[in-house]
Amino acid sequence: MPPAAATNLGYTPPDGGWGWAVVFGAFISIGFSYAFPKSLTIYFKEIQEYFSVSYSEIAWVSSVMLASMYAGGPVSSILVNRYGSRPVVIVGGVLVCTGMALASFGTNIIHLYLCVGVIGGFGLAFNLQPSLTIIGTYFQVKRPMANGLAMTGSPVILSTLAPLNQFLFDSFGWRGSFLILGSIVLNCCVAGALMRPVNKSIPRKTIDESSKCESEAQEHAAAEDTTTHSDNLQTEDQSESKGHSFVQKFIDLSLFRHRGFLIYLIGNVVLFFGFFAPVVFMAPYAKHQGIDEYSAAFLLSIFALADMFIRPTTGLVGNTKWIRPRIQYFFSFAVSYNGVCHLMCPLASGYTGLVVYAVFFGLAFGMLSALLFEVLMDLVGAPRFSTAVGLVTIIECGPVLLGPPMAGALVDYFGDYKYIYYACGVFMLVSGIFFFVMHYYNYKKLDEERGKSKAMETRNSDEAVQLKMNQADRTMNETDE
Amino acid sequence: MKLLWAVTALLLSCWRADASTAGFIKSPLSQMKLTNDSGELHCEVVGNPIPEVQWWFVEGEEPNETFTQLFDGARNDRVKINATYIAHATSTIHLTSLTLEDSGTYECRASNDPDRNELKKTPKIKWIRSQANVIVIETPNIHTEPSEVTNQTSAVLSCNLTDAGMSSKGSHWTFNGKIIESSKKDGNTHHTTHKLEKITHANSGKYECVFLTDPEVKQTIEVRTLPHVAAYKHSEHGNENDKVVLVCVSHGYPLPTDWLWFKQNDEETQVSITNGTEKYEIKNTPNKTSLTINNLNIDSDLGHYICSGSNELGVATDKINLRVRSRLAALWPFLGIVAEVIILVTIIFIYEKRRKPDEVNDDDDSGSAPLKSNSNANHKDKNVRQRNSN
Repeated sequence: MPPAAATNLGYTPPDGGWGWAVVFGAFISIGFSYAFPKSLTIYFKEIQEYFSVSYSEIAWVSSVMLASMYAGGPVSSILVNRYGSRPVVIVGGVLVCTGMALASFGTNIIHLYLCVGVIGGFGLAFNLQPSLTIIGTYFQVKRPMANGLAMTGSPVILSTLAPLNQFLFDSFGWRGSFLILGSIVLNCCVAGALMRPVNKSIPRKTIDESSKCESEAQEHAAAEDTTTHSDNLQTEDQSESKGHSFVQKFIDLSLFRHRGFLIYLIGNVVLFFGFFAPVVFMAPYAKHQGIDEYSAAFLLSIFALADMFIRPTTGLVGNTKWIRPRIQYFFSFAVSYNGVCHLMCPLASGYTGLVVYAVFFGLAFGMLSALLFEVLMDLVGAPRFSTAVGLVTIIECGPVLLGPPMAGALVDYFGDYKYIYYACGVFMLVSGIFFFVMHYYNYKKLDEERGKSKAMETRNSDEAVQLKMNQADRTMNETDE
Repeated sequence: MKLLWAVTALLLSCWRADASTAGFIKSPLSQMKLTNDSGELHCEVVGNPIPEVQWWFVEGEEPNETFTQLFDGARNDRVKINATYIAHATSTIHLTSLTLEDSGTYECRASNDPDRNELKKTPKIKWIRSQANVIVIETPNIHTEPSEVTNQTSAVLSCNLTDAGMSSKGSHWTFNGKIIESSKKDGNTHHTTHKLEKITHANSGKYECVFLTDPEVKQTIEVRTLPHVAAYKHSEHGNENDKVVLVCVSHGYPLPTDWLWFKQNDEETQVSITNGTEKYEIKNTPNKTSLTINNLNIDSDLGHYICSGSNELGVATDKINLRVRSRLAALWPFLGIVAEVIILVTIIFIYEKRRKPDEVNDDDDSGSAPLKSNSNANHKDKNVRQRNSN
């Protein structure tokens, strides 16, 4: 019997059990990483008046924090590769807490940039990557579901933090609030403590033993296939380049020769230009249409609510046997749907139109976010995911930071918000179509390679059987003589 | 020889024809103005070479007309002439502080004839002229009742146009420059009223009744009240050793001319000093005042602060309650949550250690060391290559 295709993990992920506690921990960690920079904006007006600086100077705090979070990606990857997820998350939590505590004693705006921006951003980076990585180690079959659930942390924690921040601000002022927020973020350490390293002593189950019903086997096969074969091709590259350089030990740069990774990277860079700008400009656009402030803020709440519910749902859908093997197409669909949504936005008139848009956009945004890291895991496999996500975040840094200011420049130049939506819609539609085309080609190639490697394996096993038979003959002959 | 003369004459006439005579592209317009108003007449002339433009004032009837030329600064500097000579000639004459004597015919004269200022030749032939009539009438008297409203709870404003000769197309009222839509009336009205049910700071200001005659006439009635002073926030917080800004704004007409701040200590009031100390800083504008208190002290700076704004009619005040938070106020929740986190982390680690101490590997993430396992079910297949993985 030919040895079954080795999974890239070398063990069977539990797909449950303590895994769900890990998902909860990731939920908290990811939630804080994404929601924290956004929720700090509530304090900006007060801090701006306190330090007597301009609005753009105070907005830099958020940008520096986001930039550090993305730039800290590779550092985080190296540490996770070396030490595992748990210590990194705990250190990350402590870093953010220290950053916020120091910031509460700040005397000028530079102090804030350093403490909240740099230290806080790095701490959040140390929260984000390991959480995503550890889900990959705990789940294989139910991974899209786990990812979807973990990513739900972002809207949930944002909607909790926003009113909480307001309350803290009213009770304690911005300095006291920063101190208390630092302690709240320290709960990421609790999340980190939950991230027990997965037990690798249970060996990988072969396909025959693992399941009784056909559908589960199909799921297994399907789940393993894409990750296995994309990785199989790269193992040769990997073993060649191993030991080449010191850097190679910590960051797997051979990923840049990985076809799936390159597709993901290129598509994402284009996508991220148009990803965040519509969220940032939703309230100003509403106010521009003549809607009052509270209703405009309510739009954001509707958006967050739709976002919150679609993420686990997307995870569930992505887990089904029809979607899982071709999950890349699902992702491409999500991206294109985003694009179409934005292109249709200028057609929305009046408050009801905007509410409908907010709902659809919330669904689109959530779908994309839930799948964002799942598809990367699917493409590069769990062992190299940590490095991959580090590289991806540092390259995405550019579009993420440039996107909203560019959109703002568009508004200033044209004086109308609809051009942002057209531009963002075009960006996302283009990357969606790019994903569709490239993944069709990629899947075809993967199928070809799978066919070839299966043929090779049968040939190898036939040769092995032949060899054994020859040996048996020879021994028989020898014993005879 | 004759041919030569003919050709020369033709050439001369051609050359002459290059020069076009002056012609008006814009003529001054006749208008009716009120005394003390200002008016302007505008004139534009084309021609090659560029014509010169002059303004003349015509008095009397034909044939005994008297012509007076107007210069910049004439009539006691009430006349201003602005002329440009680029591509074509334009000239504008401004008349300010019109009197009844300014009525008459104004003539815009232009000529590009090189001989135009020759006194030996008759000027009429060489200047083109365009006239406009300016009629200055006495500003009609509008009788307002009352002439101004001071400190009343309600009022009826009325305007009466005494000059019955003028015909009007309608009338309306404006409030602080904006037309009150509901006050518009059509027809030849000489009398209009506007009712103010309840006078508050919101509707105090300058009311104007406007009669749509030719030209328009209007009169202003001022409605004055006590100032309305309100604090931005009635309850303010400040942090110890930090600074806080208390703000009061005012609405109404007229806006306060003086602002004062007091700190209330048990029914007796104290005056705070402006800008003199490092503790207090007061910034005033007619509709807003702000008091900045530096270096807050938790004992002495606590309490009520009163801002008072005064205008010619009276004084209005509002009260702000200042609370000073102690520096350590935020520290207790911080320490509480940190303690909670430490307890939770400890519980999780202890649970982990006690539950399955034999199956849990603490530092196996580098993966290179062989796995230690005491588990009963020994599934390890030694042929399976353990890859360095996370």
